[in-house]
Amino acid sequence: MTGTSDTRPPNILVCVKFVPDPNQLQADASGHPDLARAPFRISTFDENAIEAALQLSTRHGGHIFGVSVTSGQVPPRDVLLRTLAMGVEVLYLIKDEARLAADPYRVAAVLAAAARAIQSAENIPSWDLVIAGEASADQFNAQIGPRVAMALDLPAIAYATKLELQHGRLIANRATDERSETLEVDLPALVTVGTEINQARMPTVLQVMGAARKPIREIVIEELPGIDLDALERRPSLRTIDISAPPSARKRIVIEGQDAAEMASHLLSRLGTDGEVKF
Amino acid sequence: MNIQEILIFSENPDTLVELLTAGRTLFGPAGGRVTAVTIGPTTTEVARDCLVRGADQALVIQTGAASLPAENGLVLGLLEAIRATDPDTILIGATRTGTDVVAQLAQALEVPCASNCMKLRRDEDGNLEIERRVYGGRFTATQVLMGRPQIASIPPNRFPKADLVQEAHGSIKEVVVELPPPRIRVKATLPRVRSAVDVTKAEVIVAAGRGVKKVEDLSLLDTLASALGGVLAGTRPLTGDVDWLPIDRRVGLSGQTVKPNLYIACGISGQIEHIVGMKGARTVVAINNDPKAPIHAEADYSIIGDLYEIVPAFLDAYERTKRT
Repeated sequence: MTGTSDTRPPNILVCVKFVPDPNQLQADASGHPDLARAPFRISTFDENAIEAALQLSTRHGGHIFGVSVTSGQVPPRDVLLRTLAMGVEVLYLIKDEARLAADPYRVAAVLAAAARAIQSAENIPSWDLVIAGEASADQFNAQIGPRVAMALDLPAIAYATKLELQHGRLIANRATDERSETLEVDLPALVTVGTEINQARMPTVLQVMGAARKPIREIVIEELPGIDLDALERRPSLRTIDISAPPSARKRIVIEGQDAAEMASHLLSRLGTDGEVKF
Repeated sequence: MNIQEILIFSENPDTLVELLTAGRTLFGPAGGRVTAVTIGPTTTEVARDCLVRGADQALVIQTGAASLPAENGLVLGLLEAIRATDPDTILIGATRTGTDVVAQLAQALEVPCASNCMKLRRDEDGNLEIERRVYGGRFTATQVLMGRPQIASIPPNRFPKADLVQEAHGSIKEVVVELPPPRIRVKATLPRVRSAVDVTKAEVIVAAGRGVKKVEDLSLLDTLASALGGVLAGTRPLTGDVDWLPIDRRVGLSGQTVKPNLYIACGISGQIEHIVGMKGARTVVAINNDPKAPIHAEADYSIIGDLYEIVPAFLDAYERTKRT
């Protein structure tokens, strides 16, 4: 791709997490999440991150690399390939079978080391932009983007809703709880995005087929340069002691009926009996 | 065990005094001290408010900037506050700004942090044990922070504001921090629109989600809300970049926590973002044409159907019953 603007074609790194699809995750008999039976997917906001990178690349050229730390089992190949089918050129997997990167602090440290390692392996002079989803669909910590920015000493714009590159600068809109803002920052920078920024594309059949020819490069975490896993291990930790479904006090009654009118009147009579609707 | 030194910060003054309440629940057997941090030019008043609500100390970080510093400036200010107080525990309000700040701060200190905690307590060893929602809100994770300092973020409206005390005993300490020129420059800023309605006090809430296709269609749900003596609220997509509803009508993690008697979720899928905010409703109705939508697991009554058909039919039935 060639640049069609005043901006140097950007090298973009997208942080991707593969997660068990929360919408298809069920509790097992003991109330714990049955992770083995939930299919993997690209974390929702990370699809928006990939899409944001693609839209910048369409306008300005450049290259898009993906990086993911896979914890435990590596997701099935078709799920990995989806990032490439969407348009990522090379996907780097940092394989963490022993789950050494067990909390956001450690994952961010590993991702920052990976960003440096990929830059060196691919002969990239500098990352111009790192894009991450604002939070993952499974853990929802909302920490990785800002943490990676701190680890790489990049300025961070979280919750971006619009991105533009102009003269080596990033112009971004974002919304905090109080304000909508237009911000400007010199590259390189890191941004996090959510669903507001775009509608992530569905890869075409041709793109899905083409993805198989694109490279997935694996690095075993123990062999990742620039990180001292023993030192990381000794730092304070966040230990998960239990994950379970809270007992739901909800009635979970599905209102049946032949048509809308019948369902509506059944609902109304239920709510009337409960005293929630007064006439 | 020593007394617990607890540092609290939010750029939102209301959230800050909620954290004061949260901080007090974490005192150890030897007691504790809460230091409230404020950062920015006009925050001495906020610091005073913390003191009259019983904070043991207020630390006012003066940056010389004319406005609230950008996130990185807040991180640098907090690092200074941490140097001054050497806290065991740090609690940050999980607004969007706070969420960004707390992650950067924790990485700078090379420690973990627990996001969006719904419950916090000390375990037997004095470590901070927290509960937070994961996997789309249907599961609760119990996690323990080890080491020091232990950092947690807490959503706004999770704890009541600390009450006024008879006599303030804490004092204000000012710390001047020289910030480097900000790397991120603000080119334009617009306040987000506020509404006259307080959804946190409503007895009936009709909530709109992405199933509502056009902004004009909200009037249908508004009609339902009015008929039932309630108010209209919405999910993140409708109060996000599309301002179909003012942001203070957003129910969820990044918005309001509501406790109405009746909550009618229309066209809402039921993401974590949303569920966390409406858990406290007495009765929940979900109207959604996707039988697999997670909202149904959070509802007392579900209708698998099109809100554009169900809502008018319900209004019809309601008006008819009212007449008879």
